[in-house]
Amino acid sequence: MNSQSSHSRRGLIVVFITLLIMCEATVYVISLPQPSERFFQFYVLGPNHTAADYYPGNDSNVNLGEPITWYIGVVNNMGTVQLVSVRIKTSNQTVPPPDDQRGLESPAPTVADFAQFLQDNETWEVSFVWSVSNATSSSGSTRILTVQINNESYPATSWSASNGYNFRLIFELWTWQTDTNTFGYGWNTEGTHRTAWLQIWFNMTSPGPKPPPE
Amino acid sequence: MSRTSTTAFTAAVLAVLIIITLQPVAVSETTGTLQPGFNQAIVELRDAQSAGATPSELTEPVALLNKALELNREALILSASDEATRRAGLLVQVDQILTTVETQAIELTAVSSQRKSMNEFLTYLSGAIAAILGTIVYASAMSLHRKYRIKRTFSMRVSRK
Repeated sequence: MNSQSSHSRRGLIVVFITLLIMCEATVYVISLPQPSERFFQFYVLGPNHTAADYYPGNDSNVNLGEPITWYIGVVNNMGTVQLVSVRIKTSNQTVPPPDDQRGLESPAPTVADFAQFLQDNETWEVSFVWSVSNATSSSGSTRILTVQINNESYPATSWSASNGYNFRLIFELWTWQTDTNTFGYGWNTEGTHRTAWLQIWFNMTSPGPKPPPE
Repeated sequence: MSRTSTTAFTAAVLAVLIIITLQPVAVSETTGTLQPGFNQAIVELRDAQSAGATPSELTEPVALLNKALELNREALILSASDEATRRAGLLVQVDQILTTVETQAIELTAVSSQRKSMNEFLTYLSGAIAAILGTIVYASAMSLHRKYRIKRTFSMRVSRK
């Protein structure tokens, strides 16, 4: 009888230890953080918050002083607090855009930038109202001298295009690198360097004020 | 010697000047220069997040950082010497905000870490409780099974063939 009771107790201990291992293993697996992809979303939308109708009257030939409203948005899916900067660069057909293969930014000059701290899963959207406030045209080349962005005037450097065709604004996403203590183009995730940039083309064939409607 | 070398020197200086002039100039990178405190604040906030700080707990320090960023931007735009006092004042404000954020982040890290440890302990404790309950259920089932088996043994009939 005593032997049977001891046998039974030993059996219970074995059952308890087995259950304990199973339960704790389950708890461990459940409590493990779910692996998720780390990335940023970056967009520029038109005045209707859609990826269309970027220019008034759907005419990409802009006039002097004509305000154009876009929305720049960044969504942080990096899992941590991030400091991001959107750099706006002025370019034309000849100045190259960012190099995706090598992860290099465009050599075009930066005209303005916006920065913001973002929490994980936070979306930051800033309105971008711009207009060309000063431009000249001579010997078949149109040069934009000053741009108005969100009611602030920014001088443009070396921003010209042949006959006013194929100007472009390049939007680059930069992030703060805590190891180098500077902003860097793109971001690093899972040992790889990722970048995000956008560009919108426009023409300015007649660098003068908008003609009155007929 | 002197004429040739002077020409060469002038050409070299001109070449350097042309190269410098042709470099793209960043016109208004107002966020290019940030005080070192910003970096430290980001590191501290990430530590707090790793320790388990929730998004709602991070809302206030992140909002303060954005305010500091705005003031920093404002200070960098002021470049004229007559606005030096205002600029210095803004930078002092930025420093104060960054100190506040760092303090908040350190406190958050401590609180979140403690909470995380407690949650982990309770989670693993619940696993142990589940194991104990499982063992009790098993023991009860075995006991019932044994009782049923004894009853069945006694209710067996011996019949002659």
